[in-house]
Amino acid sequence: MNKTTSAKSRRHSGTFVERTLTGLVRKTERALFAEEIARADGLLQRLDPRVKIVGLLSLVVTVTLSRNLFTILSVFALGVILAVLSKVPVRELALRIWLSALFFTGAIAVPVLFITAGEPLLRIPLIGWTITAQGLTSALYLTSRVEATATLSILLVLCTSWSSVLKGLRVLHVPVVFVVILGMTYRYIFVILETARDMFEARRSRLVGRLDGRERRHIAAGSIGVLLTKSFYLHHEVFLAMQSRGFRGEVYVLDEFAMHSRDWLALAGFAVLVGAAVWLGRQESLQTLLNLS
Amino acid sequence: MHIPDGYLSPETCAVLYAAAAPFWVVALRRIKRLLNTRMVPLLSVFAAFSFVIMMFNIPLPGGTTGHAIGVGIAAVVLGPWGSMLAISVALLIQALFFGDGGITAFGANSFNMAIVGSLVATAVYRVVGRGAEITATRRVAAAGLAGYAAINAAAFLASIEFGIQPLLFHDASGAPLYAPYPLAIAIPAMMIGHLTIAGIAELIAAGGVVAYLQRSNPSLLKFTAPDAPELDSTRVRTPRSMRPLWIGLAALMILTPLGLLAAGTAWGEWSANDLADPAAREHITTVSQGQAPPSAPPEGLARLSEIWTAPIPDYAPAFLSSPAVGYVLSAMFGSGLVILVTTFVGWLFGRRREKLTTTTPIE
Amino acid sequence: MELAATKYAFELADVTYRYDEITALDGLSLQIESGRRIAVLGANGSGKSTLLRLLDGLYFPDKGTIKSFGEPLTEEAMQDEEFAFAFRRRVALVFQNPDVQLFNPTVFDEVAFGPLQLRWEKSDIRRRIDETLESLEISHLKDRSPHRLSGGEKKRVALASVLILEPEVLLMDEPTAALDPKSRGHVIDFLADRSNAARTVITATHDLDIIEDIADHCLVFENGRLAADGTPSAILADHDLLERTNLIHAHRHRHPDGSFHTHPHAHRFHEHDHEHK
Repeated sequence: MNKTTSAKSRRHSGTFVERTLTGLVRKTERALFAEEIARADGLLQRLDPRVKIVGLLSLVVTVTLSRNLFTILSVFALGVILAVLSKVPVRELALRIWLSALFFTGAIAVPVLFITAGEPLLRIPLIGWTITAQGLTSALYLTSRVEATATLSILLVLCTSWSSVLKGLRVLHVPVVFVVILGMTYRYIFVILETARDMFEARRSRLVGRLDGRERRHIAAGSIGVLLTKSFYLHHEVFLAMQSRGFRGEVYVLDEFAMHSRDWLALAGFAVLVGAAVWLGRQESLQTLLNLS
Repeated sequence: MHIPDGYLSPETCAVLYAAAAPFWVVALRRIKRLLNTRMVPLLSVFAAFSFVIMMFNIPLPGGTTGHAIGVGIAAVVLGPWGSMLAISVALLIQALFFGDGGITAFGANSFNMAIVGSLVATAVYRVVGRGAEITATRRVAAAGLAGYAAINAAAFLASIEFGIQPLLFHDASGAPLYAPYPLAIAIPAMMIGHLTIAGIAELIAAGGVVAYLQRSNPSLLKFTAPDAPELDSTRVRTPRSMRPLWIGLAALMILTPLGLLAAGTAWGEWSANDLADPAAREHITTVSQGQAPPSAPPEGLARLSEIWTAPIPDYAPAFLSSPAVGYVLSAMFGSGLVILVTTFVGWLFGRRREKLTTTTPIE
Repeated sequence: MELAATKYAFELADVTYRYDEITALDGLSLQIESGRRIAVLGANGSGKSTLLRLLDGLYFPDKGTIKSFGEPLTEEAMQDEEFAFAFRRRVALVFQNPDVQLFNPTVFDEVAFGPLQLRWEKSDIRRRIDETLESLEISHLKDRSPHRLSGGEKKRVALASVLILEPEVLLMDEPTAALDPKSRGHVIDFLADRSNAARTVITATHDLDIIEDIADHCLVFENGRLAADGTPSAILADHDLLERTNLIHAHRHRHPDGSFHTHPHAHRFHEHDHEHK
């Protein structure tokens, strides 16, 4: 077979394998990135995970409760300040979170500018569409809310090791069994990710012929099937390993938390901020501050 | 499909958390009773599995790829209760750790994809696969359709959740506070993508995995198919074909909208006229459990309903002018068009490659 | 509940175990004295992993009986929490694949898991975790996630997770499989060290190079049956046995000085899993 065609067809038949592989690698890298930042010596890293979970999640809820842009943007700014104080690289944050949210939600929000009924603000020349004040406000609501909440929730995982997040969840009255399942799920995501990666890498090196759509779907479904079978075997082995060390269905865990004075201080700080933001968010008159009409 | 934070109002999120909670509790109890000590490792590993396969690119007819949620597979292997827990856990880790899907919207995402998705998938799999042998081709079709129906049911719910936001939540100036598109836009916008790309990815994943397990590990399929007759290994089986699946899919595309029409104005499909008509308002109030809709139709909705009914001539029967028809038609046109185009493009490229390989000399 | 000290750690009588259609163990009878160091040899699928799981009370025989420290080891007996806890504390299994054994978010949680399930005092648990990590020289890994550990580190954490219980019987499934030479050396040193807390050590392996260091008695398995038993040197000298049980290639020889030598010549035996056309 001619060399160029074989290279060409390999690229073609391999697209879904390649894409999946890239996706798998990226997920692992992202997790490693998070673990590195969680070990940095920043403001949020020093706080008790329970305080962080309660504080940051309350702020997320506050953002969704706000009925004016000023409050949403203020909490967003607070998130950025917290990120800087916690040594989260802002460039990474901008690339990974802000830009991707802006592209996704921004694209969704564009038509809103034109189709929302309200006071005309601007008429686009040539096509003659009209942007309304309400349309613009609504698009800003959506994008700013998404940016603010995404920043706050990513701060939580970037500045807290996953094991602490898990233990902290228990203060939100998430049942122990659920917390244990979450922890084990996260653990086995990495094992299964690795298995999947090995499988796809082996697949990539073997895919030389041209595959038609049917064969490609066959391979994709087969890969999932192999992974499912392996997962089933894995769960059985894990089950035995747990039993072997005395597991009988109920899980017991150690709680290793101590609230320091700075944690109480931080908790009070979060309470004040959340209280202020909730109050501010209910002031519809504030809309005039940023009302663009 | 993973709804981020900020798209739904806190009230909607709270309602959907409340709606999901009893399912979680019941599922946890049932699975605990069924699996006993095995529950924790089984759910953990399957949630991890679901998480990983959500990242798989599934090749679709025509050369594109799409992602599957894996709810069809989970429901077929674990049954509805295990499936809803495993998918919920996978969604929670995505939300908490990887920022896919919101934290306040976790209840909504779980309700749509994990809970309703698992129930719909189970129902379809049981009905279509009823009484079939474990290795029957009909089970492949049943699983594929189960995945397809589940993902579309979930997308439909999500689109309703989006669509009611501008009706219910706006600020003093009338600007929508959350997802800004009314039902007439939200439903077709969500459904076109899911009836085609996402739905078919889910269909291929679920059907393909069942076909794979039939060959390599049929015992994994027995858990959700206790009614399957014992295997007759002496019978020679004809090679499997995906054709029944595609026929079933086509039937589903046609029947779903017909069902909606037969049921009258589907829930959530309130036209601007309905909001003004007192009888219809009362009907909406009952179906939305006592919460009265705003009395004046939002201007945007009134205008938008026209977009979808505009091409229908005035002399057509009256029911054709409703927004429900508009969305059904656009969804059908949209999905049909995408399939046609992708198939044509795939066929075109396929032919060109064929030529290329046959004319190049073989060394 | 305390289990009495007995002469035999395990007594198996006519034990048969099947996976669906495959018979993994076929009418096995043997006794394992307390305090012995046993190597269980056999090719893949010879039934040695199954034996360890039966001894650990994870599987139960389809036919025959197993006694551990004089008490019958049955599914019913393990339903009793008191008996189960006493047994779990006394007998521990290290799995071949550390990934299945390390299911907790951190090394600390991993080592704490066993004692927590057995309801030890929490202050005791914390103290014992520190001691155990110290003794295996892995204190620095305490807060690490298992997925960030190397193969050798995982093995040591898996060991720590069972040694914290101070078991009297330690069951090891292929302890040197897939380890780099240095980590392999660590594991052999640990098993060769007679002063370690576990008194009875039963190691399933097909790594013939280690058995003289880690065992004073060998059991050789073939197709679910006991093919031979004896001292490591006697077993290693029996070429025919080792070849027949697929433990060595035909071209591998043992020299009088005890070292192995691999000849470059072709295999003496050819096995085909397909028929010649």
